Amino acid sequence: MLGTSDMTPTATVETPNVTDPSLYLQGIPHDRFAQLRAIGGLAWHPYEDGGFWAVTRHAEARYVSRNPELFSSAIGHTNLWDLEADALEARRSLIDTDAPDHTRLRRLVAGAFTPKNIRWWEQVVREITIELLDEFVVQGGGDWVDMVAAPMPIQVILTMLGVPVEDSDYLVELSNYLVEGTGDAQSIPPDAFGNTTELRLLPFNSPASHALFEYGEGMRQQRRDEPQDDLVGHLVQAESEGERFSLSEYRNMFHLLVFAGNETTRTALSHGAMALAANPHEWQRVLDDPSMIESATEEILRWATPVMHMRRTATSDTELAGTEIAEGDKVVMWYASANRDEAVFEDPFRFDVGRADNEHFAFGGGGPHLCLGAFLARLEVTVLLEEMAKRSLCLEQTSEPVRARSNFVHGVLSVGMQPRSAR
Amino acid sequence: MSGNPVRVAVDQELCIGGGICEMLEPEVFELDDDVVISSVISDGLLPRNRAEVVVDRCPGQAIAIVEENLDKEL
Repeated sequence: MLGTSDMTPTATVETPNVTDPSLYLQGIPHDRFAQLRAIGGLAWHPYEDGGFWAVTRHAEARYVSRNPELFSSAIGHTNLWDLEADALEARRSLIDTDAPDHTRLRRLVAGAFTPKNIRWWEQVVREITIELLDEFVVQGGGDWVDMVAAPMPIQVILTMLGVPVEDSDYLVELSNYLVEGTGDAQSIPPDAFGNTTELRLLPFNSPASHALFEYGEGMRQQRRDEPQDDLVGHLVQAESEGERFSLSEYRNMFHLLVFAGNETTRTALSHGAMALAANPHEWQRVLDDPSMIESATEEILRWATPVMHMRRTATSDTELAGTEIAEGDKVVMWYASANRDEAVFEDPFRFDVGRADNEHFAFGGGGPHLCLGAFLARLEVTVLLEEMAKRSLCLEQTSEPVRARSNFVHGVLSVGMQPRSAR
Repeated sequence: MSGNPVRVAVDQELCIGGGICEMLEPEVFELDDDVVISSVISDGLLPRNRAEVVVDRCPGQAIAIVEENLDKEL
């Protein structure tokens, strides 16, 4: 049901297609987004079930993101296509809710992810990073995704959740299937992992979601029998009290924390490594002055845009960029485009580790749906850069990246890297 | 350098517990550990420029300037 969009012979016929997942196998179609940004007002983009407004400039993406009363997350879906009511209900998470449901769900987990409490995890992140990086150097390089970008964030989020770190590989494998589910080609059959649920009722229409739900259910039963003071334990306790957190909400929250807690940072660390390898003089600037790690982290996040869009639905007739928006219209914020908006970022296609005033949308455009894990992701990127800088470790890319077939997550499945000492 | 002082307040219905206020202005805001909701723990006074940053950065749009043109200089 995803993917191709029939161009109908209307006034919108010249709108360049940015939804075909196969486009993204070659990277973000930046030339097409640049055309969309140049159109006065908003561009109407045809799509299989009627089309959407493509919000491609920074200013309007920011406005939509920060006006949740006008642009709902709970109506239809936050991806491009609408879900039937029962599917929306079965899949509903933090992502697909408005206040007050969103506020209630967010507060259940927010405490673990505040800047103050994330700092507490720094040593854990560092120990995991040191081990992976040392092994990468000893091995003389290899697949960066496999050796560093994937294992680091999954091990961190599992430690925070209280999930056995030995299950990292399995949960990364499930995450990879979920990424496929955001595209238009799944390599596993509907009954994979013993799934019997209709795919439309599962996040990303993927049988891997069934497997992740099952895994989360196992964790719930363990914690019920033996309470623990960790994030899963906290959620299970809230669920057992019944009133503010349902079983379906637990399943979807567990799913979200595991998937979003690993896949997105993996993407940032992969694109970050590619950017540093392609721009050795930029990395040299960081090595010469490690106080630049903070701005380099933000630039990597802008550069990577791990989540490329989110959709809202207009709750009433309104106007955006001088364009009339009707109640019920889909409005899609393309962060991938806003992060290269020439009206906001000077020389946007330059990777500049010293970029000032870098208001990127790697975590969304602000407002209540601001990425829950934003400060954790920042910490993970920062610690990786710090440990690389301590070793004067430079990267050389040895193979083309294999990219995800998805218009939603900017995933990298593999990319070869080898260490190179600083000159 | 500091801007005129203004008074800020938190709408606790809107607070989503992001903790950005506490990071930016730890003398003024604190998150309760149990309910994960921010409160003003001081007299709520901030120089205008710093107050505007916190207002802008709050993801829940829960912080507002509630009193302006206070004649006291910070």
